[in-house]
Amino acid sequence: MSYRLTIEPLGQTVEAEEGQTMLDACLRAGVWLPHACGHGLCATCKVQIVDGEIENGSASPFALMDFERDEGRALACCATLQSDVTIEADIDEDPDARHVPVRDFIGVVTAHSDLSPTIKGITLELAEDFDFQAGQYIQVHIPHDEAPRAFSLANPPGTGRRIELNVRRVPDGKGTAWLHDDVKVGDPIRFAGPFGRFFVRTSDPKPLIFIAGGSGLSSPRSMILDLLQRGETRVITLIHGARNRSELYYREELAALATAYSNFHYVPALSEPSEACEWSGFSGHAHEAAAAHFGGDFREHRAYLCGPPPMIEACIRTLMQGRLFERDIFTEKFLTSADAAQGVARSPLFRTL
Amino acid sequence: MNMPAAPNGPKKLSLKENYALLTRGLGWDTSYEDMDKAFPLDKFEGIRIHDWEKWEDPFRLTMDAYWKYQGEKERKLYAIVDAFQQNNGQFNVVDARYINTLKLFLTGVSPLEYAAHRGFAMAGRNFRGTSARIACQMQAIDELRHAQTQAHTISQYNKFFNGLHDPGHMHDRVWYLSVPKSYFEDAMTAGPFEFVTAISFSFEYVLTNLLFMPFMSGAAYNGDMATVTFGFSAQSDESRHMTLGLEVVKFILEQDPANIPIVQRWLDKWFWRGYRLLGLVSMMMDYMLPRRVMSWAEAWEMYFEQNGGALFNDLARYGIRMPKYHDVASMEKHRLSHEVWGIFYNYTHAAAFHTWVPEQAEMEWLASKYPETFDRLYRPRLEYWRAQQEQGKRFYNPTLPMLCQTCQIPMGFTEPDDPTKICYRESDYRDNKFHFCSDGCKDIFDNEPEKYVQSWLPVHQIYQGNCFRPGVDPTAPGFDPLAEVLLYYGYHVGEDGGEYLDSPDRRNWEQWTGKPAVAT
Ligand SMILES: Cc1cc2nc3c(=O)[nH]c(=O)nc-3n(C[C@H](O)[C@H](O)[C@H](O)COP(=O)(O)OP(=O)(O)OC[C@H]3O[C@@H](n4cnc5c(N)ncnc54)[C@H](O)[C@@H]3O)c2cc1C
Ligand code: FES
Ligand SMILES: [Fe+2]
Ligand SMILES: [Fe+2]
Repeated sequence: MSYRLTIEPLGQTVEAEEGQTMLDACLRAGVWLPHACGHGLCATCKVQIVDGEIENGSASPFALMDFERDEGRALACCATLQSDVTIEADIDEDPDARHVPVRDFIGVVTAHSDLSPTIKGITLELAEDFDFQAGQYIQVHIPHDEAPRAFSLANPPGTGRRIELNVRRVPDGKGTAWLHDDVKVGDPIRFAGPFGRFFVRTSDPKPLIFIAGGSGLSSPRSMILDLLQRGETRVITLIHGARNRSELYYREELAALATAYSNFHYVPALSEPSEACEWSGFSGHAHEAAAAHFGGDFREHRAYLCGPPPMIEACIRTLMQGRLFERDIFTEKFLTSADAAQGVARSPLFRTL
Repeated sequence: MNMPAAPNGPKKLSLKENYALLTRGLGWDTSYEDMDKAFPLDKFEGIRIHDWEKWEDPFRLTMDAYWKYQGEKERKLYAIVDAFQQNNGQFNVVDARYINTLKLFLTGVSPLEYAAHRGFAMAGRNFRGTSARIACQMQAIDELRHAQTQAHTISQYNKFFNGLHDPGHMHDRVWYLSVPKSYFEDAMTAGPFEFVTAISFSFEYVLTNLLFMPFMSGAAYNGDMATVTFGFSAQSDESRHMTLGLEVVKFILEQDPANIPIVQRWLDKWFWRGYRLLGLVSMMMDYMLPRRVMSWAEAWEMYFEQNGGALFNDLARYGIRMPKYHDVASMEKHRLSHEVWGIFYNYTHAAAFHTWVPEQAEMEWLASKYPETFDRLYRPRLEYWRAQQEQGKRFYNPTLPMLCQTCQIPMGFTEPDDPTKICYRESDYRDNKFHFCSDGCKDIFDNEPEKYVQSWLPVHQIYQGNCFRPGVDPTAPGFDPLAEVLLYYGYHVGEDGGEYLDSPDRRNWEQWTGKPAVAT
């Protein structure tokens, strides 16, 4: 038995299992609520119940007062749902979020090709139009496996019934092996989406920096194509890090865009260029390329980072030391089950990074 | 034309709008007086703030909500304390040794709550940013309440046990209480930015779990429900204080790159000062709680090495590194509590609480928690003391110890790489020699010698004749300076300090409760 929990002012709805706390349901669904102790003592996670029935669980009488219980307050870290519930939480609404509802889809593979030695481009055709916000991802169902795998949409919105994924093969990864080796043109693929809060804050006038690592080009490509199609005039810089020349996919397309749009700059960087690459561009990691390109000073920019967790962390450090901070940086970490299992402990210093 | 009627009347302000009006909405810039004169203290530390608007309110609590909330909280706390008193709850603790942790807390820590109240009131006055000012003022009120509720909660024990009768008087005079007192006064006499970095961040965020966790869980394990309740009531404020600490440090670091080295030096300094202060907690955990929660070494690993490690890993993004000498603190974790208990065992006749040699079973526990050090280094000494005591020669050290100029603790700590050799450091300043217990304390002095040469060191003050009651004649025949110092401290000599087994507390406990003096 599960209930639906709607979080205002975001307007986002998540599923909560019987006995699962509101906080747990939100955090697992990627909705951040303020919290600290996690067990009913500190009152950091206090929310207002707008509608529905809840159970207060083990909330301390010193953290949730009687008068507050009467007024319909609850501690999200202890409260469980007794019906569908709407809460109002102390979080800021993002004016640029579109809240496209999540649905289940089946797509048929219409193209399946090598973008690089490790990355496949997979195009799916759906029975109906697919609405999403550039930067979001879908959860792909893998046969005989409980857990779906996340892949970002590489095409811009507005391509109707057609979507594109860039899938990097993970060594010993079951899902990516299936997508690389077993899936053929004409096969159906089940997925749900769109998910995620990685999208361009268009209401913010600052110039944009995108840093992509490997197949982490998927989201930035979607976001940049979308921006340029809409006539964006702010300066956009894309830094794409790859190991060697053959891993640097979509290079011609992006170089052509940079020629066509004077406000778009494309900076490819190779971390291990070989003789065969005949490489005259930047040699080094993506974060080093960013520091070199901006002279180590990122002030008055907004940065969007997408790719594997170590690359994201290296970029965050570089950006922060170049005076760009949490409110200016948005990330999508391409986590795999290996990363999840060995995740480094984090402090509450940062909310989203 | 008719206006469409709003269905629910005027829109209720959201918490955020409400708080914005209370803070930024109520602030103004002075026009006929220079802002630098209205806020004269927020620049001299070298911290550069360009834009106070970037301050993100770590919590949004409005005044009306605050009063309502704290009012109910206090009603609940005092209802439980009342019930505790009616039921003679003080006799439900495991044995009378436990009370000595309360004595240490009420004389050493509760006055710090009051000092925090003063410090936050001053910081609140001195910040130019309205939101920071409000946050500090709210915390100033919290801290005053904490001092008050602690005094009320623990005062019940004063009716039955010795040493708790005048914490305020003692805090300003007694040798070991100068350790917490000088710690806080060091922070209060710094500028407002250093004060909040020291107290909100280094102490309340980084180190507070090492104080409150052992104390509150210790109370629960040892049957002290009044203190447990007080702990719950304070914890709901504490998380607000901790988020303030995080916000302060993030804000300062993000405002200007020139702030980073200044903050790093403060983090180095306040880490070491806080760690030295927690030496008192280490002996509480390993020696003073009859029912033990966890060892000091375990607590250090969990709360500093793991949680603190994660924090400093995140701070590295700003270019901040681990505090200097954190590695020394980790090296010392297997000896700290034993060294501190040793110091207090020596000087317990001059303290307002009792000490004792642990029981056999307790030594087994210590040996299991400290396999590398306890049996080799500390058990023989404890057993020697026990043997002396059995021959009627309980050891008291009749001399006065040399104190560290910075932390003011007797110089009983050992070399980082040799637990059998006392660590001595010294600096020359203006033709005088100053002595330190560690490299950490020496560095702090060397950075600000002009400040620390003024330290009120209790032992120096005794030798200078400043610790006698007014009117006492030190030249009178038979004058006993040490006995006189104890009277100056406000002790009830023969009751408050000394060996637990010889104490009136012990005799009373056995008579009143019929329970053994030492729980097994
Ligand atoms: C929001 C999001 C968007 C993403 N977008 C993209 C994208 O656009 N393109 C892209 O290429 N990738 C993307 N990813 C990454 C992608 O989801 C993963 O690479 C994929 O899920 C891996 O699946 P797999 O079945 O191949 O590997 P998994 O089976 O999940 O295993 C990955 C690795 O971990 C090891 N492993 C498995 N379980 C454990 C365990 N319990 N402990 C330790 N090790 C274990 C495996 O042996 C293997 O080496 C995205 C990820 C996220 C979170
Ligand atoms: S997170 Fe502390 S009460 Fe919920
Ligand atoms: Fe406090
Ligand atoms: Fe010292």
